[in-house]
Amino acid sequence: MFYSDDKKQYSVLNRRTFFLYFLKVSFFGIVGWRLYDIQIKDSQKYKTLSKNNQIDVEIIYPLRGNIYDINNKILASNIKVFDVYIIPENTKNINKSLNELNQIIKIDFSDRRKIIELSKKVKKFEKIKVLENINWSELEKIESNKLNIEGIFISQDYMRTYQYNNTVSHLIGYTNKPNREEVDLPFIANMPNLEIGKDGIEKSFNPNLIGKSGQREIEVNSYGRVIREISRQDSQKGNDIQITIDLRIQKFALNLLKEHKAGSAVLMDINNGNILCMASTPSYNPNKIIQKPNKKYWDSILENELSPLTYRCIQGLYAPGSTFKMVVAIAGIVHGVIDTNTKHFCSGKIGLGDRLYHCWKNNGHGLMNVNNAIKESCDVFFYEISKKIGIDKIAKVAEDFGLGKIYDVPLPNQKKGIIPSRDWKKKKYDESWYPGETLISAIGQGFVLTNPLQLAVMTSIIASNGKNVKPNIIKQKNEIEFEKLEKYQNAIKIIKNSMFKVVNESKGTAYNSRSETAPFAGKTGTSQVRRITVAERESEDFRKKEVEWKKRDHALFVGYMPIENPRYAVSVVIEHGGSGASTAAPIAKEIFQFTKKLET
Amino acid sequence: MLNKIQNLNYLLIFLVILISFIGAAGLYSAAGGSYGPWASRHLIRLAFFISLAVILALLNIKYIYQFAYVFFILSLLLLLSVELIGVFGKGATRWINLFGFSIQPSELIKITIILALARFYHDLKFDEIKRIKNLFFPILILFLPFALVVIQPDLGTALSIAMLGVLILFASGIRIWKFGLGLLVIILSIPLSLNYLQPYQKDRIFSFLNPEADALGRGYQLIQSKIALGSGGLTGKGFLEGSQSYLQYLPEKQTDFIFTLIGEEFGFIGTMFIILLFLLLISVCFYISIKSNHIFGRILSIGVGSNLFIYVIMNISMVSGLMPVVGIPLPLVSYGGSAMLAIIISLGLVLNVELNGNLKKLHNA
Repeated sequence: MFYSDDKKQYSVLNRRTFFLYFLKVSFFGIVGWRLYDIQIKDSQKYKTLSKNNQIDVEIIYPLRGNIYDINNKILASNIKVFDVYIIPENTKNINKSLNELNQIIKIDFSDRRKIIELSKKVKKFEKIKVLENINWSELEKIESNKLNIEGIFISQDYMRTYQYNNTVSHLIGYTNKPNREEVDLPFIANMPNLEIGKDGIEKSFNPNLIGKSGQREIEVNSYGRVIREISRQDSQKGNDIQITIDLRIQKFALNLLKEHKAGSAVLMDINNGNILCMASTPSYNPNKIIQKPNKKYWDSILENELSPLTYRCIQGLYAPGSTFKMVVAIAGIVHGVIDTNTKHFCSGKIGLGDRLYHCWKNNGHGLMNVNNAIKESCDVFFYEISKKIGIDKIAKVAEDFGLGKIYDVPLPNQKKGIIPSRDWKKKKYDESWYPGETLISAIGQGFVLTNPLQLAVMTSIIASNGKNVKPNIIKQKNEIEFEKLEKYQNAIKIIKNSMFKVVNESKGTAYNSRSETAPFAGKTGTSQVRRITVAERESEDFRKKEVEWKKRDHALFVGYMPIENPRYAVSVVIEHGGSGASTAAPIAKEIFQFTKKLET
Repeated sequence: MLNKIQNLNYLLIFLVILISFIGAAGLYSAAGGSYGPWASRHLIRLAFFISLAVILALLNIKYIYQFAYVFFILSLLLLLSVELIGVFGKGATRWINLFGFSIQPSELIKITIILALARFYHDLKFDEIKRIKNLFFPILILFLPFALVVIQPDLGTALSIAMLGVLILFASGIRIWKFGLGLLVIILSIPLSLNYLQPYQKDRIFSFLNPEADALGRGYQLIQSKIALGSGGLTGKGFLEGSQSYLQYLPEKQTDFIFTLIGEEFGFIGTMFIILLFLLLISVCFYISIKSNHIFGRILSIGVGSNLFIYVIMNISMVSGLMPVVGIPLPLVSYGGSAMLAIIISLGLVLNVELNGNLKKLHNA
């Protein structure tokens, strides 16, 4: 039975068939409605997006945060600059336009050639950069002639600027385009052309200073011409940063240092560790690095044998010389080797093994106690006591006083220096320690190396009667309280008395630098940069100090002010300055007096 | 014989030819105003397949009825052999070489599924339909090819097989609540079946479910396809005036995305015209179904119409962003032999039903 006539089945089938048919018709309706939406209702939208148009996303770069000094003086900010472009399609004669522009601002002939060459290659609506970072007066000249010059287009941009040129350059650093490794840093993920901090605070605080990028969607046709902006999300400026530097002191100190070829001065507020001044000379001008072309300037910096890029306050390592004697004396007192009555006779030299160890004073100081030994900076006294203390105990005290350490401050590339000990020598040279090396270390020579910031911290710890002062460069909102190193109390009291005598009693090495307006205490240091031969020691030139600059001793001074309840600690280092007393101490005096004057 | 030729449904044949010619015009434009490589072959295939369909229409429907299961099993074997080639040969494929022609068995199987189901319900007494055990065989007929296509994996075709099954089973008079039950079973079996899938298969399913994750691939295609449609507006940009630059973003402009090209060049009027032509073609199938007085013919015609409907709806929904982009061509318009062969042959069967179904007096022929 091929053909069926089951009535009931057919009626079910008919119902279902009709239902299916209407289902399908309605589906066609839905699809038709959808096509109506796309092709009629939204047609205009798609037409704009159509054929020749596509959408590009442009990143809006954020403005970098400012840097302020402790008194809210701007140290780093962004200035508006202007770039001049030429658009080939807007001028009948690009050569003529460039010539007219050249009459206002000089454009290199070779640059002009390049621009004209370029204009033949690129699309005719593409902007070609003619001048970069022109200033206001140049802009005004162009603006007033703009109508006469065809095809000129001026766009605004921002450039990092440092208000005080080289005054705080080492500390703040500078910005530049990221290099290949830096491009992967997370905070510049989508901004490969963003200028980022390359040194100093600018580098340490990149994530804070940079801010957030914005973006705009633009419609670009198939030739790359921008049709319109579709959406825009503005960028967010980076955070401002306030540092502890007092620009006035910094400027003042730098001026004093500039009389010498190379040196540094650090001034700290003992109460909170704030670094008020951290000047280093020679320095560089970050603005000249930022403004292109900078090749000439870069080359001059790199060729300079005094290496202006080095931040001597934290990267200069010097034998501390006699400024190290406080540490040795404190170690002696704490370990019971000496008290105020312990005396040693200085004949100008002592022998140990088959070697002679000289005092700086050839004739000797005579009988010395610890007060006089520091006041007159007698070497022999310290040779004698160091033999009894031993290098390891000296090293421990030196570390307690902040030497041989990298501080937890946002200053990149600090140099640690060396506080030698038996273990250190074993590890470094795989050699045992010689007794003579203890003697040389005791007067801050030999292996001992410190940076000027460390010396300022050491002085702060002494001046504060043993508070564990930590340096600080970013202005803090909260009061800072340092813990006290109780075991050094007694020793520090004795040493501070000695340091008072250094400056304020006759025969004190810095007596000539004593100040009436800002009385201070301190210690001079003169560190050898090379071994002095016996023949030289006897020679006429040596006594007259008429030696070649590079061979001269480094001059150091550390000190604090005022004498009662000290607030400021200083360290001054003048490279090859001769002696601490003659060169470094006067600078410290000037800085103290200036700081004192600012207080009133 | 002559009588039969006179009684052929020439409206149906005309619609097939008209739609195919529109397709050829689209292919001509897609090739940048050239008959090669697609338009000319499209038309040659049309001529060949139409002749084949007419010959098929003139056969006695008894033979088609008798061989329905055989056709189904043969095409299932073809599909299986594609799978085996995929397993033992050089990677997955959807194609098989048959008598020098490259054929996609997954397109042919849809037609033989319709044939097999039509025969099954023809043989089944109406009272028997409501029995649960009589669901077993039709579900097997659907499930075997479905499973083979899923593991290819050709999720677009698998989905269309599933939809075809639902529509035919509905048309044959299955109780409505059984569909609800079936849906429940499917939903419950999803987490279970996911456990048996290979990781790469899971990836494919999930990327199919969430094409946005692949924004630059298929998501981008979709945006470009909507721009092409939308920018056509009411009347279109004109023949051969469609922006080729956009279509360059559509790698399948001659196959799955041909509708967007037509939409761009002929506008809303053009797309509506095609949709109406398809609706008319489906209506003819339904008309023939209703007119037929045997179950085999009825189910066969509804099946073929539904198959056509699924192709059209899926393709247009896909290019207009109503559903994810799965590879489904627009019948008779898109370039591609297998789908065209399957569609025209199946319409040949419908022609046959009309010639053999409305002759009540041949009751015991």
